[in-house]
Amino acid sequence: MSRDLTRAAARLVDGTVARLEARGAIDRRRFLAQGTASLAALLAGGALAACDSQGPASAQRLLRFAERRNEGVERWLMRHTAMDHARASAVNAGGHFPSYHVAKIAPTWDATARGPWSLEIAGLVQRPQRFTLDQLVHLPQTQQRVNHYCVEGWNAVATFWGVRMREIARLAGPLPQAQYVDFESFDHDPQSNVDFHECWDLESALHPQTLVVYAKDGEYLNAAYGAPARVHSPVKLGYKNAKYLTRIVFRAERNGGYWSDMGYEWYGGT
Amino acid sequence: MSSRPRHHWVVRVTHWTAAVAITLMAASGMRIFNAYPSFHRRGETFCCYPFEGTPIPAWLTFGGWLAGARHWHFAMMWLLVAAGVTYVVFDFLHGEWRDLVPRRGDGKRALEMIRFYLFLRRDHPRQGKHNALQKLAYFSLPVLTALVVLSGLAIWKPVSLGWLTSLFGGYVWARYWHFVGMVVVALLALGHVFMIFAVDPYAIPSMITGAYDERLSPESRNARPFYHLLPKWARPAPHEPAPNATPATEDA
Repeated sequence: MSRDLTRAAARLVDGTVARLEARGAIDRRRFLAQGTASLAALLAGGALAACDSQGPASAQRLLRFAERRNEGVERWLMRHTAMDHARASAVNAGGHFPSYHVAKIAPTWDATARGPWSLEIAGLVQRPQRFTLDQLVHLPQTQQRVNHYCVEGWNAVATFWGVRMREIARLAGPLPQAQYVDFESFDHDPQSNVDFHECWDLESALHPQTLVVYAKDGEYLNAAYGAPARVHSPVKLGYKNAKYLTRIVFRAERNGGYWSDMGYEWYGGT
Repeated sequence: MSSRPRHHWVVRVTHWTAAVAITLMAASGMRIFNAYPSFHRRGETFCCYPFEGTPIPAWLTFGGWLAGARHWHFAMMWLLVAAGVTYVVFDFLHGEWRDLVPRRGDGKRALEMIRFYLFLRRDHPRQGKHNALQKLAYFSLPVLTALVVLSGLAIWKPVSLGWLTSLFGGYVWARYWHFVGMVVVALLALGHVFMIFAVDPYAIPSMITGAYDERLSPESRNARPFYHLLPKWARPAPHEPAPNATPATEDA
């Protein structure tokens, strides 16, 4: 019985190949070549899956190309009129708002060693500025209850107090060639010995919901949440929102960033 | 010649492109999900997912780490959208949609198929290009995939495309529907692959070369899963025909 089945199956396969050959759809050599090719593709797929962030060079090129194209689409979609609204039913995360820093412990500004903290506006601007915290608080104030979107997939709602980046740019007067804004921080990664920073496109930095924030949920920022001041905007993923600000630099060319250099998307927009 | 063209080359190319893109997107999507394998907004709880906080097994995921998986996800989405749009436009212009769009009586015919598979009915129901269950699956797959893509756009751009995010009930729910939609698409696709191997393996070459021999169709083989896989002419003769028995009608 089983021999009968085997013979029948063999007859069937032979018949199929013969029929395909007769139609000229396929010949045995091509059939073999195609089979080998698909097997190779499968194995390549397996190798791809096996390797980590790096991947084969060709895949890296493809992914980088896609990232650049996506950035074009994202910048085209970006509107200063598209606003984030925290849902009325959403609860402020408060103490459940996660806090990250690249230093081992939450960074604090060492005023005895580095002098009093101030925020410097520098680079391609007509009127470089320097704001103490007190001066920042006395600039036109904006309060907004918005989402914070993390690259990991979570979101959290908080109420922020701060100054619109737009207002700060108005005071500093960026030159026409300024197209990027680099947010520099004193959060220091001891392992790679770099200070945290992330560079943004000018449009996102000037979105009306992009603030230099000094208070959250009714209190001045504490060390965990980026004191004395941080940038916050719902239009960028969390990792682009630099905390522990020192300098905001207007630039003609784009700069990388702590997470962007690590392999996360440079644009990181929502 | 009994082999006839069954799938236009546009259908074949978009089928395999979508198969690769959906596989990579689902696997990289699950790697992204594992960075926060929950749905609750921070400081809240979520009603409708029993596995909050449980990551998906790493062997099901693709991309290696969060950033790598995101790059794959956002590259493959264009491949998927290109294949999907091409397929739908072609189906519409070329008339293929008539074989797929549900009609009156398809529910009843699908029930008959299930009865046949459960041996509650002896003969394979008559069908056109596809049986009623296939029609249901092949029609709903592109529709569901489109919903998964739209909910994906909603969580990719919750501010730029905020109106879309709102349509899905906000960011948290858009993320949830994106996930649930992926699970349904994955189950349908796995069911499709299973049934192809178990009922109609002859359909595999037809999705590559385009040609299909109607004598090998499940309808003419009267095939159930793993049952009557060989065509009648290749089947071994009944071992010991009982004398005086009524002629076997099963294969008639």
